[in-house]
Amino acid sequence: MLRLREIKKSYRIGPTEVDVLKGVSLDVGTGELISIMGPSGCGKSTLMNIIGLLDRPTSGSFVLNGSEVLYTNDDVLSDIRNRSIGFVFQQYFLLSKLSAIENVKLPLMYRGDAHGITHERSMELLRRVGMADRAGHRPSELSGGQQQRVAIARALIGSPALILADEPTGALDTNVGSEIMGLFKELNSEEGITVVIITHDPGIARQCKRVAAMRDGVIVP
Amino acid sequence: MIIGANIKEAVRSLLSSKQRTILALIGIVIGIGSVIAMVSIGKIVQKESLRQFKEMGTDILTIENDSGGGGDSSGGGRRARSAPPGRLKLADILALPAQCSGISAVAPSMRGNGEASYGGKKIQNTSLIGVTESFLDINKLKIRQGRFISDLDSNGQFCAIGSKLSGEMQKLGGGNVIGQKIRVGENLYTVIGVTAEVLEGGMRRFQPNESIYVHITAALRSSRDAEISNIIARVSNGVTNMAARDQVLDYLRTKTKSSSVRVTSPEEVIAQMEKQMQMFTLLLGAIGSISLIVGGVGVMNVMLVSVTERRREIGIRRALGAKRGDIRGQFLIESIILSLIGGFFGIIFGVGVSRVISYFAHWQFAISIGAIILGVGVSNAVGIFFGYYPARQASLLDPIVALKSD
Repeated sequence: MLRLREIKKSYRIGPTEVDVLKGVSLDVGTGELISIMGPSGCGKSTLMNIIGLLDRPTSGSFVLNGSEVLYTNDDVLSDIRNRSIGFVFQQYFLLSKLSAIENVKLPLMYRGDAHGITHERSMELLRRVGMADRAGHRPSELSGGQQQRVAIARALIGSPALILADEPTGALDTNVGSEIMGLFKELNSEEGITVVIITHDPGIARQCKRVAAMRDGVIVP
Repeated sequence: MIIGANIKEAVRSLLSSKQRTILALIGIVIGIGSVIAMVSIGKIVQKESLRQFKEMGTDILTIENDSGGGGDSSGGGRRARSAPPGRLKLADILALPAQCSGISAVAPSMRGNGEASYGGKKIQNTSLIGVTESFLDINKLKIRQGRFISDLDSNGQFCAIGSKLSGEMQKLGGGNVIGQKIRVGENLYTVIGVTAEVLEGGMRRFQPNESIYVHITAALRSSRDAEISNIIARVSNGVTNMAARDQVLDYLRTKTKSSSVRVTSPEEVIAQMEKQMQMFTLLLGAIGSISLIVGGVGVMNVMLVSVTERRREIGIRRALGAKRGDIRGQFLIESIILSLIGGFFGIIFGVGVSRVISYFAHWQFAISIGAIILGVGVSNAVGIFFGYYPARQASLLDPIVALKSD
């Protein structure tokens, strides 16, 4: 599913080069539930951005779904994000002007899918995450946990092979957080979706089948 | 589908920041409104002046004779007979239809001078014109009351007057103006008829509603340094204006040594006027465009603020798979919608302004379809032109930077 080799990333901040990733190599198989864990500043967000094709490495090779990711065409990267990756963010990142169901539909808009099918599928997914009765609500009318459920439905709408979650429970209390984790585990075991969770919380990491620990820009064995 | 959704979202986004949207709209409304108003007024003025010309028909020629200015001061007496070499004689002019096959009728006229008064009170804004019987028909004037000057009146002291002047006299004296006497200079003229009101301007180089018409012989007799200043000739059926003009010029050259006879046909005047009017309309449009640019900058400003405020939204959309072109399209549609709404109200505003102006200027109002198409087209263009830069800025945002901003 994912094969990262010697991924390096450095930023130039003023006159100094800062190496954030110092050669990360990682393999994630299809159907895995893996957490990438580490303290803040260890480079895990940068790694997540690279895996999510939001950022490009300074050097190294990244094979996603069997094909090497080339960073030459931005539109192709957008298309891969749209079709292969479902994002779940700590801040949910729902669009405040859209209702829950419109938020869920949003990724399909960028594919130009037929309206009817989109609607059916969105309702189905809202039902799946237990939010069918709130389909018409705006994000501001929903609790944090409810918003994250809507965000997960949105991540699922494109039937991605990979769900990439960045601190998905970071803004939620423990009970709601474990509900959300339960949802990820369910999706992983029932539908075989590969789930990568980035977290600093060992409690969350422990719930995953595999944990990759990061420190100072490398994955520690 | 994506465009439909974009339009819906654009409207929603514009509605969510009403104050800013309205401020941008005002700029666009004024900009497009002034272009529409300017162009419409240009068109209305153009139509108006052409209408004045066409009303008299295009089968007429204006013959003018500039015989070295009024510097000639040889003593009084019978002007028509002892005319200096440059001047045209009345008899020669009246012989035009007989001498030139291309001319069916001719109406010479001359301006008299002297102050006009009625019942001892001065009448402003009037002048005396010496005319012949044919003057009425050639100038497409109508008699409202009484009769017009006839060629049999050459020895009498009669006059016909314009409708406005008749109104003036009624104000001064009251009652029926027919039979009343008007004094012009040293002469008294008895009113025998009133002409109906007609448009001023165009090929009529006099004020048809305010003139005192007397027979040209009477006018020549009474006025010192009198000169036949203007001749209007009607071209015979089936003869072109150009052919008739050549005949007239050939004939008049044998009668006067002066080469200063000018013959103008309305076609030339109309063609020249149309050219001038086009320049005029273009100029007005250009003036309007300046305010349009200001309005466009307003749109750009609003869109730039909108992009800055919605950076996080842009980041989210990019993460979900929106391509750069999708983001650019979204913001472009928003600015086009903004401009089109502005354009819609601008058209109403512009048409309204031109309506009010033509009402006060007594012009015939007409909605110019061309101006409306122009308005829609221009507002679209403004939306694209001034919306492109902000939309491009939005599309070039780095998704990570955009996501991190708040």
